[in-house]
Amino acid sequence: MLEDPEELQLLIFSHHRNMYSPVKIWRRQRKLREYLGKKGKIITWTKIYTAGEGRSSEDPYNVALIEIDDHTRFSLQVIHGYEKLDFGQEVKIVLRKLHQKSHEGVIAYGIKCIPL
Amino acid sequence: MVGITSYGFYVPRYRIKTEEIANRWGKKGTDISGSLGINEKAVASFDEDALTMAYEASDMALEHIDRKSIEGIFVGSETHPYLVNPTSTILGEYLGIGNAYQAFDTQFACKAATGALITGVGLVKSEMIKNHVLVVGTDKASGKPGDPLDYSAASAAAAVTIGSRNVILEYIDSFSYSSDIPDFWRRHGQSYPSHGGRFTGYFSHISGAVQGLLSKTGYKPSDFARAIFHMPNGKYPVKIASSLGFNHDQIKDSLVVTQLGNSYAACVLVGLSAVIDTVKKNDLILIASYGSGAGSDAIVFKATNKITSQRKHFNSYIKEKKYIDYTTYLKFMGL
Amino acid sequence: MINVIGYHTTKFGEQWNKSLFDLISEAIHGVIKEMKIDKEEINAVFFGNMLAGILENNVHGGSKISEILKTHVPMYRVEAACASGGLAFNLACQYLNANKNSTVLVVGGEKMTDYPTPKVITALSAAASGEEQEAGLTFPGLYAMLARIYLHTYGYTEEHLAAVSVKNHFHGTFNDKAQFQKEISIEDVLKSPYIADPLKVLDASPISDGASAILVTNNRHIAHRIDKKMTVLSSQAATDSISLSGRAYLDRLDSTVQAGNKAFSDAKLSPIDISVAEVHDCFSIAEILAMEDLGFFKKGEGGERMKNYETMFGKTNGLVVNTSGGLKASGHPVGATGVKQIGEVFLQLTQQAGKRQVKKIKYGLTHNVGGSGGTAVVNIFSS
Repeated sequence: MLEDPEELQLLIFSHHRNMYSPVKIWRRQRKLREYLGKKGKIITWTKIYTAGEGRSSEDPYNVALIEIDDHTRFSLQVIHGYEKLDFGQEVKIVLRKLHQKSHEGVIAYGIKCIPL
Repeated sequence: MVGITSYGFYVPRYRIKTEEIANRWGKKGTDISGSLGINEKAVASFDEDALTMAYEASDMALEHIDRKSIEGIFVGSETHPYLVNPTSTILGEYLGIGNAYQAFDTQFACKAATGALITGVGLVKSEMIKNHVLVVGTDKASGKPGDPLDYSAASAAAAVTIGSRNVILEYIDSFSYSSDIPDFWRRHGQSYPSHGGRFTGYFSHISGAVQGLLSKTGYKPSDFARAIFHMPNGKYPVKIASSLGFNHDQIKDSLVVTQLGNSYAACVLVGLSAVIDTVKKNDLILIASYGSGAGSDAIVFKATNKITSQRKHFNSYIKEKKYIDYTTYLKFMGL
Repeated sequence: MINVIGYHTTKFGEQWNKSLFDLISEAIHGVIKEMKIDKEEINAVFFGNMLAGILENNVHGGSKISEILKTHVPMYRVEAACASGGLAFNLACQYLNANKNSTVLVVGGEKMTDYPTPKVITALSAAASGEEQEAGLTFPGLYAMLARIYLHTYGYTEEHLAAVSVKNHFHGTFNDKAQFQKEISIEDVLKSPYIADPLKVLDASPISDGASAILVTNNRHIAHRIDKKMTVLSSQAATDSISLSGRAYLDRLDSTVQAGNKAFSDAKLSPIDISVAEVHDCFSIAEILAMEDLGFFKKGEGGERMKNYETMFGKTNGLVVNTSGGLKASGHPVGATGVKQIGEVFLQLTQQAGKRQVKKIKYGLTHNVGGSGGTAVVNIFSS
């Protein structure tokens, strides 16, 4: 699991302004950087057909639970266009723009994975 | 000696064929690809933007360079993620550069990066910066759907580091030619750029810059092993090369636009990435960018003996591609 | 000794005419009236609900219920995603262990159909960790990843999963409070569209509105007045990491294993003693995992035994599972489910289950899970 679970609660809704908290994005950035470029293996995965709010332009998309070399595991979206996933498949962690809630708020960047 | 010490590039895997776009608009694909000299272009996914691509290109460029030695980050784009908020520092953060660097973003249509490159050279030459400057050109360009520009506007990023140690391409000289020509522009609040049709400063400015450079340095076109001209389509660079006295062999390796489209601020640096794999020691390289509005930066580099240490195999890299259809294209571009 | 002395539930389903607190009010007043209890005899209220804060910007449910009941007793809102109802009951038992001669009301309710589905999907994914939400994992997505591992490890197919939904829909036809009272076939399930593969629409419990309430007491005099009651032998809760990435095993829910072991040990019973059970089938795979994790089936046997309908009403003399129709057919208004499950076992053990009455039963069990297994509550009852 990624360290420090509290920091990962990026998607806390602010009902008043429907934006990601800029402070949370800023805190998260420094943790994310450590994972960029790391390689891992797929433990399990699924293809999401019915996505949550505002993500309908992305679906369907694959999400994989991966394990990186020090046995840390986490779930990451798989980048678009890779359909042949398998148990133990190698992936690399890349920087991508995350789902944006609004046109006003700070842009949230995060990590996804690409099968190698 | 000051010059380029490393480089990197990123071209998204996704491609859309000119034919696919043309068909959706009821036009004949071969007519358009024929007249533009573009068969397909590279498209960034919905989760990519100028920043994420800049990161990939920079990551490649910084493979053997200590990140803490970067003292300047300059990012040129026509599609910065924010109107106000620098791409260069977001990039610096994700690259792990630390805090001891200066940063600025530039915009100047397709020549946003080359202007910053020349400035970077100046900072290193004057020793105001002792180590490296990172210069990146990156764009996820689009034209208004259905507009001719939409066939060529593409996505890519390319990065160079400027320094004085282990230089692979020595900076020899440059000449810039600038004026005010409203041939391509975008007002606040507009989603797409507008343009004056065939009205362009491309030929006059590149001529002005290159001729100024040749005159200043005493070089002749035949002295150059390679020339890379900005590529708004597949025809213009061929035309300008010929009118300036360069032959087809000098430019042919750089004409990535046919398969990748015009990646705006990244364009000439992507062109450089394409030729650099076959450049030999002492080869002279001319780069002539063009930014609408307008201006051209013509720069001469000379390959050093270290050039062979950095072959990044651009041509096999771009062979890995996935075709997308027009609907996916619209999703990717956020339209 | 703790006894469940009454149960009332609203119908589950799309209740356009009723708000969250309309439903809760209906359940509360229903159970009080049926039991002929005076509301003054209630010493505390335990309220299970997950989404009111997220969807309706309404928290402090306890004080809302105070408004409905017009009493001043303490009211405790409990949230553990889909285990909110079960955990509310568990907390109620702790309260009763600490307070003599008390009677408490446990009510669970949820209002989900007022909002567009994507909004509800996002709200439900609040039960997942931040990392999982950021990756775009929906609730079905989490269980789908578990299903994929299970099918691969034990060599089963989507047909084995489908059998769960078929059984539960069959049971739903006997329950007039169920959201779906229609049978479905294996083909129906297999033909339904994917929501997160390998899970399809008909592998998943629906979005529902509803509320259920039970009365629980340790007051001997009140219990004595009530004819039909069931005794609580044990109520145990356990937790596990919220993220799947933090789990030691991906082919089981450790929270269920732990809660189940503690509950059986407490009640001094074994799985073989249980005649009727309501287990948490938020998705078909969840029931299969639950049956193994609770010790009813051996690990890896679940797929095969479900396909043989071994726990179907009328097909077996042994354990019957999810006579209410489970979450799949009776519906899953999240906060209400845990309470409804207890209510269903109550109806069974007090011989009030009508057309779906399982004969000759002594012990019943309920199993309620929160999120992808972050919380599990197991309760064992006797007639």
